[in-house]
Amino acid sequence: MKFRGKIIDVACLNHFTRVITTISKLTKMCVLRLTPQNLFFVLSGKVANGGVSMWCELSQENFFDEFQMEGVSPEDNEICLEVTPENLSRALKTVQNAKAVKVKLTKKHCPCLTIAAELPTLSSVSRVVTHDVPVEVIPRRLWHEFKEPSMPDFDVSIYLPPLKTMKNVIDRMKNLSNFLVVEANLNGEMNLKIDTDLVSVSTHFKDLGNPPWGDEASQQGGPSQSRDPDTMAQTRVDIRKLQQFLVGQQVNPSKAMCNIVHERVVHLILLHEDVSLQYFIPAVA
Amino acid sequence: MDCVVTGGNVKVLAKAIHSLSRIGDELYVEPQEDGLALRSVNSSRSAYACFLFAPLFFSRYTIPIGLAFRCKMAIKSVQAVFRSIATLEKTVEKCHIELDDQKNRLTFTLHCKHGLMKTHNLSFQDSESLQAVFDKDSYSNVFRSHPRLLVDTVVHFPPSLEEVTVSLSDDRMWVKNHVEDETDRSKAMLTELCLASDEFDHFSVKVQNSVTFCLKELRGLLVFAESTGLPISMYCDEPGSPVVLSVTDSVLEGNFVLATLSDDSNLRKNNTKRACTPPPPPDDFMNDDMDSYLIAMDTSVMPGPSASRPPSPPLTNSTSLKQTATANHRTRLPSEEEEEEEEEEEAVDSSGPPNKKFCSLFFGSVLPPSSQMTTQPLTGQEVLASDSEDDVQ
Amino acid sequence: MPLSTQSQGDAEQYVLVACLDNARNLSNILKAITFKDHAIFSATPNGLKVTVEDSKCLQANAFIQSEIFQEYTIKEDSVGFQVNLTVLLDCLNIFGGSTAPGVSTALRMCYKGYGYPLTLFLEEGGVVTVCKINTQEPEEPVDFEFCSTNVTNKVILQSESLKEAFSELDMTSEVLQITMSPSQPYFRLSTFGNSGNAHYDYPKDSDMMELFKCTKTQTNRYKMSLLKPSTKALALSCKVSVRTDSRGFLSLQYLVRNDDGQICFVEYYCCPDEEVAED
Repeated sequence: MKFRGKIIDVACLNHFTRVITTISKLTKMCVLRLTPQNLFFVLSGKVANGGVSMWCELSQENFFDEFQMEGVSPEDNEICLEVTPENLSRALKTVQNAKAVKVKLTKKHCPCLTIAAELPTLSSVSRVVTHDVPVEVIPRRLWHEFKEPSMPDFDVSIYLPPLKTMKNVIDRMKNLSNFLVVEANLNGEMNLKIDTDLVSVSTHFKDLGNPPWGDEASQQGGPSQSRDPDTMAQTRVDIRKLQQFLVGQQVNPSKAMCNIVHERVVHLILLHEDVSLQYFIPAVA
Repeated sequence: MDCVVTGGNVKVLAKAIHSLSRIGDELYVEPQEDGLALRSVNSSRSAYACFLFAPLFFSRYTIPIGLAFRCKMAIKSVQAVFRSIATLEKTVEKCHIELDDQKNRLTFTLHCKHGLMKTHNLSFQDSESLQAVFDKDSYSNVFRSHPRLLVDTVVHFPPSLEEVTVSLSDDRMWVKNHVEDETDRSKAMLTELCLASDEFDHFSVKVQNSVTFCLKELRGLLVFAESTGLPISMYCDEPGSPVVLSVTDSVLEGNFVLATLSDDSNLRKNNTKRACTPPPPPDDFMNDDMDSYLIAMDTSVMPGPSASRPPSPPLTNSTSLKQTATANHRTRLPSEEEEEEEEEEEAVDSSGPPNKKFCSLFFGSVLPPSSQMTTQPLTGQEVLASDSEDDVQ
Repeated sequence: MPLSTQSQGDAEQYVLVACLDNARNLSNILKAITFKDHAIFSATPNGLKVTVEDSKCLQANAFIQSEIFQEYTIKEDSVGFQVNLTVLLDCLNIFGGSTAPGVSTALRMCYKGYGYPLTLFLEEGGVVTVCKINTQEPEEPVDFEFCSTNVTNKVILQSESLKEAFSELDMTSEVLQITMSPSQPYFRLSTFGNSGNAHYDYPKDSDMMELFKCTKTQTNRYKMSLLKPSTKALALSCKVSVRTDSRGFLSLQYLVRNDDGQICFVEYYCCPDEEVAED
């Protein structure tokens, strides 16, 4: 089991840092799966994290100039680690001006992801900083818990409005209520609503567009095909979970989507080039 | 006492008080013939700082002749005088410091723009002299650099980090976070930074060793040094002897004296294990083999990932790790002889409880006998005893 | 504007309709008086007055004249209700209350009368938010009987010079003591804290002093906890008038300029804490 990657390009380093920072805002601990092509950050929806799940997929080629790994075995050519993304984020943030950053799996006082950076100096010798981030190696028999979640059989899929607007609205709504109803229809309309003893607030977005899921959606035979375009599908969620997602995100996605399974789950998807981040927020009664 | 500070020096004074506030809760004020001394010490007496502002720093400096006066006061209240530190330079034209011995009041009067006058009458207590004993000239290892170098170094460490370890070789300085507890170390992120000697204006190492001291106070001094742009000199010696950080120019001198961990088996173990980190060879991919961990886990009966932590390495493990280090040609720290000594000490120490404590800067007897500190008489302040005295004896 | 067409059908039923192209012109001035949740709104054809009180010792009023609004329709001589001010501010800033140029939230505020909620229609960039804030019957605000004929001392200062003093106030002092006098120290703010006392003196000829009209030396103390909220008003204002009357009551009047350069007023009244012997 070996892993070593190197990032030289400043833009890649910056982007990688932003992705990790985004993840660190969503969860304290998560699982990092390394494969020869991809990195996956995974949080599986357990009661401990409020039932929230996350799946973030990165193509290594888009970030790393060098990427070498040997998995557990030739058949299972993967490495599965439990990491604290906050630590990785902090380590990466301090080396943004590095000439090169290496990320490797090392055996120090405990298994670590070591982030070693060569920093520019005025002298002839580079300044080297290393951050050893402790990780836990996850044995193969537990890997099944960290597989890609299947696309839910959603009722409505819709493009999200500008995330900044959405964040502003939800920040204020959070001051007023603990729960929020997200509803959307196939007519490109989405509403965010709260209702308390003191106040009711509803924000209406329109002309958002509904993503064409084509084959994938029809394969699942979702009810969305025959659905009345004006009928809303809605889910009541813990407003903090949604806020966390919007506050933390630094991905600047080219596409942001939301799938709603009526009264079950809100599934958020951010796409940015070869990064995809999926976030599942379960309904609350 | 009656003195006046004008122009940009007001901000310098304010910044000095601000950085002293990182040390302790009280400000000791002592007008001396050679200038105004402002001092502070932390509650465990393991960190001490002193600024001496020469009479030339002031546009007026008068002290009563032949009448020694000293006082101490809450540093917060003095900080409050210079609250709006960012705008101080623009708003304050003159600062007048005056002592009313009769009323037990130290008065700071700020003459500000637009004729606004702010008068702060602060109460104080009499105090004995506060003086740490150190002699910068006797130190074996001396460095000097622009504050930026140290600022860029400490930025890699989290604000919550308490202590750093500085290790020295002939041409390198390593700075790393000190993690005290063995169990914490398997969770804590360890950071290590390597600075080459030519990044310093002056780099002179006579004794290769490591010292561990508190980061908070260093950060405090950096705030001052950065704002004034003054180079920082650092003096250190063997573990247990305090580290001295100082800034000087023609009208002021600031010295921060920080105790280091004295008899420190933890530290040494730490060094042995982590000696292998920098600088990594060009390609050590093949050296990073994690299989042993995985095997250990797959045969284990631990139920889940959270419980699947490998057993913390037993003592023998450190030896094997050291071998790895040697194999990788990543030797740095002390000479062979010293390493042997370390092992011996380790063997002895591992049986006893960890012995970590900072020594008081004022308590001579816990300093190593070879200490080259001056033997200035301690002026009789009872509190100069070490807080860690009980632990040591 | 989409908002004006939004609720045409309802328009007749409302006793009060007030519209702003920029909701910040309302939210900002309300921020200056936000120190308790309950706010009493009283609307007259002249405009809107919003009152917040604390323990009958402190009262803050914000005045927004009818001309500030792009549309202001009132069907009765006076309309009054009480709402939760914190909630109202969150609603007014639902889109973030951006200060970026060219971005503003349009507001249409409507009230049908007793028992109905205060309804806000807010729009920014084509997104519409509807808020219904529950209302209560208004309480009668305390009359501080502060009458300009009884004013003993008055100074008008540029707010900037007071902002610094207020930001540096020693909060360990229970009171803020204000001395106004035709002779030295003219205008003095004093605190008496744990570690000593502090005096801030403003000379009468300071270029920050726009008006100095003190007839008699007066020293009064006001509870720091009561006066502290007025810092919010100070922060927004460009000028402040400090007045005391013969009873030692304090009036602070703030002149606030909004995003469009229009002028609104905020006023604080505060009872003196205790009698101080005059010397």
